[in-house]
Amino acid sequence: MEKKKKRRFFIIFACITILLLIGTVLTKPVGSGEEVGELMRDAVLHDVNKISLFGIMNVNPGVISAMTVTGIMFIFALIVRIFVIPRFKMVPGKFQMVLEMLVGYFDGLAKSNSPHRNSFLGAYVFSAGVYIFVSTIFELFGVQATTVHNTIISLPAPLSDINGALMLGCLSYMVILSGGIAQNKLKGIGKTLKEFSLPISMSFRLFGALLSGALVTELVYHYTHLSYGLPVVVGLLFTLLHALIQAYVLTMLTALFYGEVTE
Amino acid sequence: MSLPLNIDPQQILLHLLNFVVLFGILYFLLYSPVKKFMDKRIEYYKELDEQAKSDRDKASESKAEYEKKLEQVSSEIEQEKREARKAINAQRDKSILAAKNEAEKIIDEANKRAEADRKKMIADAEGEIADIAADAAEKILLSSSVMESYDQFLEAVDGDLGGADDE
Repeated sequence: MEKKKKRRFFIIFACITILLLIGTVLTKPVGSGEEVGELMRDAVLHDVNKISLFGIMNVNPGVISAMTVTGIMFIFALIVRIFVIPRFKMVPGKFQMVLEMLVGYFDGLAKSNSPHRNSFLGAYVFSAGVYIFVSTIFELFGVQATTVHNTIISLPAPLSDINGALMLGCLSYMVILSGGIAQNKLKGIGKTLKEFSLPISMSFRLFGALLSGALVTELVYHYTHLSYGLPVVVGLLFTLLHALIQAYVLTMLTALFYGEVTE
Repeated sequence: MSLPLNIDPQQILLHLLNFVVLFGILYFLLYSPVKKFMDKRIEYYKELDEQAKSDRDKASESKAEYEKKLEQVSSEIEQEKREARKAINAQRDKSILAAKNEAEKIIDEANKRAEADRKKMIADAEGEIADIAADAAEKILLSSSVMESYDQFLEAVDGDLGGADDE
């Protein structure tokens, strides 16, 4: 009986897939080369598809994505703070263990790289790491927004916007600089300024990594022929991987340089 | 003048504002409370550890104290034993001496009594011999000639004396 059911399921699945493939081949292609070019250009520059921010100004979709992520994180953190943290036990459950592991990891990262003045660094790398990871994953959900031209776009990862990546790279550099000043005064400034290329390298690394992910995904989604099976690998695995890798790289670099200048 | 790559300072500031707000939210609602709880747990287990260590130290101290006391008690017991043995020995010697004195006294008394009995017996025997001799002389004189009577007398005396010695 089980075998029969399984066979029937596979036959139906194969029929649907074949029908979709035939439909795809027979229908007229959706985009032209120019459209892809425009799409790519807009994904990089965000200069066409602007979104109105409460009617005050027109902003890149990345800003809206960033604010949405902050809103989601706020609701999540509030629920956890009210309902979960007061019920924490000495022997943790699964969710408590995940939270403690996360906080413990970033706290440990700060402590191991910077033996001095690491309490602020721990909080900063925690926030930055969580922000990079969640905002990159956010891209997967394809939350839709209406542009000022009344077209609908799916919101990109906030850090695929050059302004977001620059902000995080420069902020990390400022955190490192402030740590150096607090610990070593003028010597700290000298040590930090020695790494003058750091904000640019951190910003563009983030921007490049997230933009390349977004571009590849856009490219794959643009052609219907490629939208079978491939998005699972490209969209999901790549996004998950570079979300993790970029969160790790930026927090690790920040902690490392912070530790170096506060020695 | 517009910057390349659509870099917009206003939007950078918007991103910065957004991140600062997110930092505040995450710090006050998640990072700080979770870290406080973790620190509290570390403190709790540290206290437990310290308590266990202090208990172990106390136990070791008590053990050492008890061992010391035990040694002290053992030496006291040994001392007591020695004293008791000495007292017992003294008592035994005293008893033996008293017993010896008593025994000597008893032996003396017995000797004295035996001497008195012997003397009395000898005295009694002398009286009896004289009586027997008188009886025998009388019988001999009355029954046969003098020589025979004399022989018979001697034999009778010998016989009587032998019988008395046997007794």
